[in-house]
Amino acid sequence: MADAHELTKTKKSFAAVGIALLVFTVVTVTIGLAPIFDFGPPGPDGMDFVLGLAVATVKASLVALIFMHLNHEKGLIYKILLFTVLFATGLMVLTLFADIDPIREQFDTLQTTRGWLTEKP
Amino acid sequence: MEIPYEVTPRRDTGLYNAKLGIWLFLASEVMLFGGLFSAYVFMRLGIQDGVDNPWPWGVSVHKNFVWLGAINTIVLIASSVGVVFAWVALKERNWRRYQIYMYFVVACAVVFMCIKTVEYNSKLNHHHGIKLVDNSVMEGTILNKTDRISFKGEKLTFSLNGALPAVLRDLEGDAFPKFKVTEGPEGTVGVEIQSLSQFKGWFADSRRAASERLTEERKRFRGELAGGAANPKPVSVVSSVTLTAAEPFGLSGSPRKIVAHTETALNYKDGVKVEGKLVNDDVLFEVHEVDLQLVLPTKQRDSVVWSVINDEHAKQQFFTSQSKKYQELLEYYKKHGGVIPEEQLRGRFLNVQYVHVAAEGHEGEHGKEDKHADVHTSQSNPTAGGGEGEGKHGPSKHIAVARDKIKFMGNHGPRYGTYYAIYFTMTALHGLHVIGGALVLLFFVVFGKKLYLKNPEHLANRVEVGGLFWHFVDLVWIFLFPIMYLL
Repeated sequence: MADAHELTKTKKSFAAVGIALLVFTVVTVTIGLAPIFDFGPPGPDGMDFVLGLAVATVKASLVALIFMHLNHEKGLIYKILLFTVLFATGLMVLTLFADIDPIREQFDTLQTTRGWLTEKP
Repeated sequence: MEIPYEVTPRRDTGLYNAKLGIWLFLASEVMLFGGLFSAYVFMRLGIQDGVDNPWPWGVSVHKNFVWLGAINTIVLIASSVGVVFAWVALKERNWRRYQIYMYFVVACAVVFMCIKTVEYNSKLNHHHGIKLVDNSVMEGTILNKTDRISFKGEKLTFSLNGALPAVLRDLEGDAFPKFKVTEGPEGTVGVEIQSLSQFKGWFADSRRAASERLTEERKRFRGELAGGAANPKPVSVVSSVTLTAAEPFGLSGSPRKIVAHTETALNYKDGVKVEGKLVNDDVLFEVHEVDLQLVLPTKQRDSVVWSVINDEHAKQQFFTSQSKKYQELLEYYKKHGGVIPEEQLRGRFLNVQYVHVAAEGHEGEHGKEDKHADVHTSQSNPTAGGGEGEGKHGPSKHIAVARDKIKFMGNHGPRYGTYYAIYFTMTALHGLHVIGGALVLLFFVVFGKKLYLKNPEHLANRVEVGGLFWHFVDLVWIFLFPIMYLL
């Protein structure tokens, strides 16, 4: 049985993480909604996406490290997770290859000259 | 059976067995959700703005759902905190506090699923889209099942070989029409049918008779019947029947079951033909926004959508809003150098705008609203700009959309587009995890007392392992919320 002092410390860190998560949730919503967080061109764009995912990653790390005790865990679990991360990243990266398409890029340029740039609203 | 190492760690792994087990399971869960996130990235990158079925970019689309999603995020975070505190309570050997925290967690799961239900219901039953013949899209609500085709039927023609005609489920009113069989195989003509049960009985009997006749004809053809020589004539058995109603009956035809319809006939998918008179096939629609991503900018002002909506004010509203946003983009790119990229020009930001078609007698209100908006132009911002739409205005007009102008219509279900397909797949799978996790945690609190008294540390370990799964569910939602609702 863990000693009382340590448990109080743990409780404090859990509460702190809970509050941090709530704050970050507010930040995420603001990135989507408020203009002051709208970096990059007006409206939704890649910049907002990167920011939103960055905040989500911070939140996820907090949950994983503190709530799931990954900040002090046995080596075997890290080994399991290392493989998980490798395969999951591989899966994501493979998907990105689908976006390489020289033919579509030519088509995009064609569309530009044919459509919008000749006449504006 | 005694499972070893429930409390004491195994020497070679340094862990109690359940913990190693749950981490292996979570690793496989990461791969499951990873695959779906990968599919999300794949589909989203593949979307070409203004060419493909549009991806609803940004909060403007989901402004009704952002708050539901945000509340759900907070609910899940609260429940995660609850689980860790329940675990601490067990470590402190405080059963009462453990119980309170655990019930709190389960309550959070219930709230989460209730909010999810509201959201799904809204997407599936209250939000629809209509794509018109020139690919312009109206989003809003189809009123009161007006997607159905209203028809006065007089004659039904169908085959006795198939299943019970689907048209019977589209009949209007409680009274079953009085039918008389006017054409069909011998023996059936002249029969009168008064009720659905009678129809079913008659149909079953006639189908059996028709099939027996066919068998007999085949035997005769092969010369198997006693005394008969092989008959070289091909088999021909009448199995089609026509029922004529005593007086015309009302039909509300489901468009999913009808392949084609004219002024005088409905053709059902199962081969049933209904003759009669078309009453009305217009779709009544309440417009909330217009999406012209698939219409070339030079043709946007003459789009079919404006002739369907037939309201000059709504059209003005669209183009005022569009040019305001265009100016914002122009200013931004002037300041930062370069020209507006064509993804922006073709994309959702410029080509999807809220419109409000005021009901008759409410135009005055509308004008006031607009002056109000003009005063605040300097304050308006790009994302909230999309927000000034429905809600503030008076009642909306119900537009009758002629069916020959419609290319596609549907609710915001998985069939509506790539976004909704992956949205429902991922959120529903996540929802199932919430239910599963909550059931496990509920089990630990309802049936945990015995184990607590025997070996509290064992129960604490169980809660820790259940909690690890619960945190994983929370973790998935932390990513789902921004990518599905905000960005």
